[in-house]
Amino acid sequence: MDTTFLKKLITTSLGRKSLMAVTGLLLGAFMLIHLGENLLLLKGETAYNGWVEFLLSNPVTPLLEFGLLLLFVVHITAGVWVRVEDFLNSPRGYEARRWQGGRTIGSATMLYTAAAILVYLLYHMLTFRFVDHSMGFYQMVTGAFRSPVFTSIYVAGSAALALHLSHGMQSAFQTLGLNHPKYTPLIKAGGWLVALAMLGFALISLYFLFNMDLKAAEAGFQVIIIR
Amino acid sequence: MKQNKQFNVTVRVWRQAGPGEPGKMVSYKVGDISPDMSFLEMLDVLNDDLLKKGEEPIAVESDCREGICGCCGLVINGDVHGPDEHSTVCQLHMRRFKDGDVITVEPWRSKSFPAIKDLVVDRSALDRIMQAGGFVSVNAGAAPDANSVPVDRDRAEAAMDAAACIGCGACVAACPNGAAMLFTGAKISQLALLPQGAPERAARALNMVEAMDREGFGNCTNEYECEAVCPKEIKVSNIARMNREFLLANLFSKR
Repeated sequence: MDTTFLKKLITTSLGRKSLMAVTGLLLGAFMLIHLGENLLLLKGETAYNGWVEFLLSNPVTPLLEFGLLLLFVVHITAGVWVRVEDFLNSPRGYEARRWQGGRTIGSATMLYTAAAILVYLLYHMLTFRFVDHSMGFYQMVTGAFRSPVFTSIYVAGSAALALHLSHGMQSAFQTLGLNHPKYTPLIKAGGWLVALAMLGFALISLYFLFNMDLKAAEAGFQVIIIR
Repeated sequence: MKQNKQFNVTVRVWRQAGPGEPGKMVSYKVGDISPDMSFLEMLDVLNDDLLKKGEEPIAVESDCREGICGCCGLVINGDVHGPDEHSTVCQLHMRRFKDGDVITVEPWRSKSFPAIKDLVVDRSALDRIMQAGGFVSVNAGAAPDANSVPVDRDRAEAAMDAAACIGCGACVAACPNGAAMLFTGAKISQLALLPQGAPERAARALNMVEAMDREGFGNCTNEYECEAVCPKEIKVSNIARMNREFLLANLFSKR
């Protein structure tokens, strides 16, 4: 059995980049699903807890969770490898150097936003995943969102994620060779939409920080986005 | 004539005696410059002055001086190939500068382009990428009839656009990661798009990408600085084509 082609996904620059791109796109898709789950918080305790109970009682969930962990590990490993090589190869020693307009804020800060997202991810795991869940998931999450410190971190993390995806989504398509005069403008616009959607995480946490759910209930409103 | 008065500038040039030697920026005053002079002619005048004074002239590479050979290449005031967009250094004229300007002149800086002397660097890494697959192996014989191999017009145009690459290395000099992917993408594309390049397509993509990696060029992070400076306006769609060619060759060809 010849597995050279699999090795080349790791030993060549384009192989590593394509691994980073595929895992990045899948993680982006996961983030959209995650956002959908968070929107259930707006619907209320029964809806949110019901969904979490469904997930926890589903035997496939641990497999999916492991797959997710694998995506993160491959994405981060390929990313760090690529960037370490880039750092070692990057031109150094220019007295004067001016960027010529190709770079964007998103593209120039990929490494920093990646580091910020990793910190945010670990914090998220420590506060939501590896804790006592006896108070109920809805209470745990909304309780955290009502803390200004937590929500500040959460908003900063969402912003870093949005900036990361503003370059990452369309960049992944280019890396996989999916560039076409008809579709590339749509892919770029779609990448921005996904990136902006990440700010939805921040908006939901702010909604609870300012107790808008309680105020809405007091005034007799029900959030009508999701009935 | 808008500006015909002669003027003076100060040129800050990277001086380096040889490979591995320490280098430094050295300032020279250059007088009586005509705005109609090219930038390289201004350096010729400076070198004449240096020779007259018995000093070592500045080593600088140029050949055709009409923007088609890819020999010249300098970073001027932080701009790869100078301040004009999509142009080579030899096409830059002194009318772009004014009296009293201080002009910083540096060589391409890349780990894969080792310094030779002053402003001259060794770009043979690009040649070695070409040697790995940037060619078509055919039995030489009588030229085939012009219409015996039909080529779609749009493909022919796209291949020609890629073939416009002069291999100057500006893409490497401009890349934040020192990657040579625009160059390699163009060289893979110019043959991948044509029927003549089809038989060796998979091997070419694999070999050229691996040669590029061996030379120690960086990884592309799709920042498109290369496309912004390329004197021949090579598009990053050629990098996407290279990625596509490589992945298809690696995952789906029999090689």
